[in-house]
Amino acid sequence: MPDIELALPARAENIAIVRHALGGLAEAYAVPEQKLADVRLAVTEACANVVVHAYPADREGLMEIVASMDDGHLTVLVRDWGRGIKPRPDSPGLGLGLSLIATLTERVQLERGDKEHTEIRMTFLLNDEVTSANARSDTSVLASVNALSAMNGNRP
Amino acid sequence: MNGPAAGPREQATDNLARARVAGGPLVGPVLWRVVSMVLARADWPVNRLDEALLVCDALCAHAPMHASEGGLTFSVEADEREAELRIRDLTAEGAASLVQDAILPIVGNLLERVSERVLVEPEDDGKGSQLVLILSSN
Repeated sequence: MPDIELALPARAENIAIVRHALGGLAEAYAVPEQKLADVRLAVTEACANVVVHAYPADREGLMEIVASMDDGHLTVLVRDWGRGIKPRPDSPGLGLGLSLIATLTERVQLERGDKEHTEIRMTFLLNDEVTSANARSDTSVLASVNALSAMNGNRP
Repeated sequence: MNGPAAGPREQATDNLARARVAGGPLVGPVLWRVVSMVLARADWPVNRLDEALLVCDALCAHAPMHASEGGLTFSVEADEREAELRIRDLTAEGAASLVQDAILPIVGNLLERVSERVLVEPEDDGKGSQLVLILSSN
């Protein structure tokens, strides 16, 4: 069972609730402040993607956030039931979101599920000693995310 | 949210948040923060927001003991006049026991003192119970 599952209307103002809830998780597990800042920033970017890109302007939808702590790793999954990751020439963003997420996480996965949902799964390493040992993996993840972004268009 | 079963295509409503939290030390920090954010966004006065958080403290202290499967689901929905706080995934007697647990010396029952209404309802599957608190901003 995940530690936290949140379901909220995909609106900008609800990102603050997600950030606060992650603060609660961090408090319960004594996550260092700097790590929490990284987690919050990456999750904020993922949620902002949902708010801006997932649903058409005339349709409201949900965003779900699932957070699990396991063996020094925090996995946060941000899910929507919108239109998926498609090329969007009129994207209002700078296109940096996924790159930023990749930089802040140990691992990031994008999926378009068979239940018509899109999800981004972010894994954070909370153990400092292991973080430096795995720093090299960031580069390859960043490259793969950049490639995926280029392939799929402008959804950041 | 009752896990994904709550319905991914469910229509989003205005000022609503649902969360499922694993039991133990997580319930308090998460419930407290989510409720305070939703009520603050509904422009609740600080004194009433404080009282709502007292309710959260009372719930956090005892609700995990009455959870049916280890975790708890809660939802909070608020406008400028009223808020509904719903605690789910409680055992069949859990909701009623949770109300009883909120009795304090001198003060009496904290949930009943602070809330406009306290409702104990069966879960949809008939196996568990849920506690519904209606709070007023006045």
